[in-house]
Amino acid sequence: MIKRVEINYRGIFQKTLAKRIGGDIVIIASRMGKVGFSNGRYSDSPERNGIPCKYFAFVSPDLEEEELEAECGAKLDIDEADVSVVVDDTMVKGVEPWGWHGVRPINEKVVEKGCLLVVSRKRHDELTRFTARTPYSYRLATIDGDASLAGLWVFKDDLTHERVLGAIAAVDPAIIAIDAVEAYLLAKTKQEHRARAAREAYDAVLRQTSVVTPEQGIAWPHETPELPPWHAFEEGAVVRAPARHFEMGPGGQSRNASFKRGTTKTLRPVIRFDLCISCTLCWLDCPDECFDPVEGRLYDVSYAYCVGCGKCADVCPIPECIVMVDELQFDSDASPWEHYRSDPDGYTRWAEEKKGTARYAYPHVTGTGFEIRERESVAPKDLG
Amino acid sequence: MAETTFIPFEKVKTVRDTPLEEMYTSGHRTCQGCESAMVMRHFSKAAGPRTIATGSTGCMYVANTSYMTTPWIIPWMHTQLGAGGSSAVGTSAALRALMRKGKIAEEKINVIAFCGDLGGGDMGLSGISAALQTDYDLLIILYDNESAANTDIQATGMTTYGAQTTFTPPGTKHRIMQHRWKKNVAPMLAVGHPTCRYVATASATYPPLDFHNKVRKALSIGGPTFIHTFDPCPKGWDYHPQYSREIGELGIKSGIFPLYEIIDGTVSYSYDARKRARTPVREYLVKQGRFAHIIDEDIDYIQSMVDSMWNEWEIPGVAPFKGGLEPAKN
Repeated sequence: MIKRVEINYRGIFQKTLAKRIGGDIVIIASRMGKVGFSNGRYSDSPERNGIPCKYFAFVSPDLEEEELEAECGAKLDIDEADVSVVVDDTMVKGVEPWGWHGVRPINEKVVEKGCLLVVSRKRHDELTRFTARTPYSYRLATIDGDASLAGLWVFKDDLTHERVLGAIAAVDPAIIAIDAVEAYLLAKTKQEHRARAAREAYDAVLRQTSVVTPEQGIAWPHETPELPPWHAFEEGAVVRAPARHFEMGPGGQSRNASFKRGTTKTLRPVIRFDLCISCTLCWLDCPDECFDPVEGRLYDVSYAYCVGCGKCADVCPIPECIVMVDELQFDSDASPWEHYRSDPDGYTRWAEEKKGTARYAYPHVTGTGFEIRERESVAPKDLG
Repeated sequence: MAETTFIPFEKVKTVRDTPLEEMYTSGHRTCQGCESAMVMRHFSKAAGPRTIATGSTGCMYVANTSYMTTPWIIPWMHTQLGAGGSSAVGTSAALRALMRKGKIAEEKINVIAFCGDLGGGDMGLSGISAALQTDYDLLIILYDNESAANTDIQATGMTTYGAQTTFTPPGTKHRIMQHRWKKNVAPMLAVGHPTCRYVATASATYPPLDFHNKVRKALSIGGPTFIHTFDPCPKGWDYHPQYSREIGELGIKSGIFPLYEIIDGTVSYSYDARKRARTPVREYLVKQGRFAHIIDEDIDYIQSMVDSMWNEWEIPGVAPFKGGLEPAKN
C-alpha cells in the first residue's frame, strides 16, 4: 500500500515550507517504522515567485524503499493523492503551473474519500464554489490561518509547518500519527509550543472536516493544452509568436494565448477609475504588460494575465486608487473598465465593497511579517 | 575636456510619447515583479517591430519561451550561455550579406542580443569583446540580477559583496561567503574597445525613460554597442515583488550601481551620485533578505567601498584608478 500526499504551494514564497512539510512526513513515517520518500515536481524547477508548484511525499508500511521509489519516483506528476495540501487558499481557483499543463483544478488528484486540506480562514462553501465537480465524494478540511508567504532566504516561522503536520495526522492517520508528529517535533526542536501547535491543529481539523459531494463545485471551464508529439514540431523547433496587434481598448494588445499565468496571484489590483489622474505609472511599470490604454486616458487591466505582484498599487500616487484585494473575492476576469463605463456609480460601489477596509501590508523582506491594516482615512466623498 | 559626441536620435521626452504597442507581451513565466522582464519590455518597445533579438540561456530565455509558448512578438532566437556576442555578430552579418545580395530589401533592422550576468559578465565576456571589435550594427544588453537566477540563485562575478546565494550560504563560522566585489563590466568593455562608440549602464524603471532612451541612442549611433542594466530580483534578492521599483531606485541613489554613458570615450552621468546626496547603502541593504545575515560592520565596509568609488576613483563610479598619473620611480 502506498499513501500519497501532495503539497500545493506558491513558488519561492512557500518553497521552504513545502519542502519541510514533505521532508518531515518522511522522517516521521520512518520513525513509525514505515518507508517514505519525498520530492518536488520535476517541471516546477526553476521556480518563479508565486507560480503554483507541488511537492510530494509517499509513505508505505509494507514496500521496500526501492519498490516505493520505482513506483513513485521521477514522474512528471502523480495520478492520485490521498491528501492534497494547499498552503495558500487562493489556489482553489485553479493552478496553472510553470510547465505546460493548463489551468488545472486544485482537487484534480484527490481520490474518493481522500482529503483536500486547505490553510484558509474561509468557510467551506466559499472554497467549493471555485473547485471542480468530481464524480465522487471527498473530504474538505481547513486549517485556520493566512497563507504563510516568505522568501528564498528568510523563512517565516509562524508554525504553519507544524500545524499542517498535525492536520495531516487528523485527516489520514495511516500516513503519520499525531503522537509520532508530537514526539518528532519535541525531539527535533526541544520546543513544546511546536508540538502543541501540531496537536491543536489536529484537534481543530477533526472538527473542521466536511464532505464534498458530486453536486458541489463547478463544471471546470479551462481546457488542458494539447502537447504536440515529437513529429509535429516545426523545423528548428519554431514557436509561433502571438500575431502583432494593437488598438486602444480592453484586450487591444495581442497576448500569449497559450500561457496566461493569472493563477499566480493571491491578490488582484482593484482600480477606482474615478480617482485616477492618468499619471501612466501603472501601465509603464507593469512587468507583465497587463494594462490596456483606453479612451479618457485611463488604463484597463487584464486580470487573466495579471500575476498580482502589487507593483501598480505601490507606484500609484493616489491613495485608494489601486488597492490589492483578496483574489477569492472575484468570480470573473472581465474588464473592470467596461463595467465602469457602463455603470460608473455601480462600479465604484462594487469596487468599494470588494475593497472593504482591510489592507494587506507586506514588509520589504517578505518572510519577516505580514499585517492586515485598516485603510488610511480618505474623505468619504472621494470614496463614492 | 572632450566635447560629448552629438548622437542624432529621437529622444522620448514623456511617457505619453512612448509607443503604446508591446513587442514583448503578456503571458511569460517570469517572477511576480520581475525587473528583467521590464528590460525586455522596454528595449523591445524602444527598438520597435523591425528588430531581431537573440537571448543567451538564463532567466529571460527559460522564463519566456519554454514549453512551446512565447510572449515575443518580434523574432527571437535562443542561443547558448556564452554566445551572446557571437549570435549578435552572426545575425548582423547575415542581414548585411542578404541585403548586399539583394535577397532582402535594404532597411535598418536592429539586432539586439541579451544575456544575463553569468552569460554576459562571466562566461560570454570573450564573445562580447569580439563583437565590440567588429563593424556590425548590434546592441548587446547585459541584464544583471546579480546571480544565476534561473537555476535558483548561484553567485556570479556580478553578485554584490556579502549577498547570500546557494553558493554562498552564511554559516556559523563564516558569516560572509561572497567575498568578491562586483565585477566592473561596462567600463572594462569601454576601456578595452576604443572603437566601440557607446557603452552605458541603466535601470529599467529609474529614472523613468532613461533606459528607453539609452536603447534608442545605442541603436542610432551604430556599430557595436553595449548596455548593462541593474535588475532587482524579488526571488534571489528576497524582497516582496511590489517593491521592485523602490529597490532599483535605492540602488541607484545609494551609488552602489553607478548610472552613466560613455560616448566616444567621454563619460556623462545619468545620475550623478557625487553632486546629488547619496542615500546610505544601509537603506538599500536592509530591505533585502539576501543581506539578512550581515551586521553593522559589514554595512560599514560596503559603505566605505561605495564611498571610495565616488570619492577616490579617477573617474568616479567608473574607473578604479586612484591618484592620477605618476612618473615611473624605478
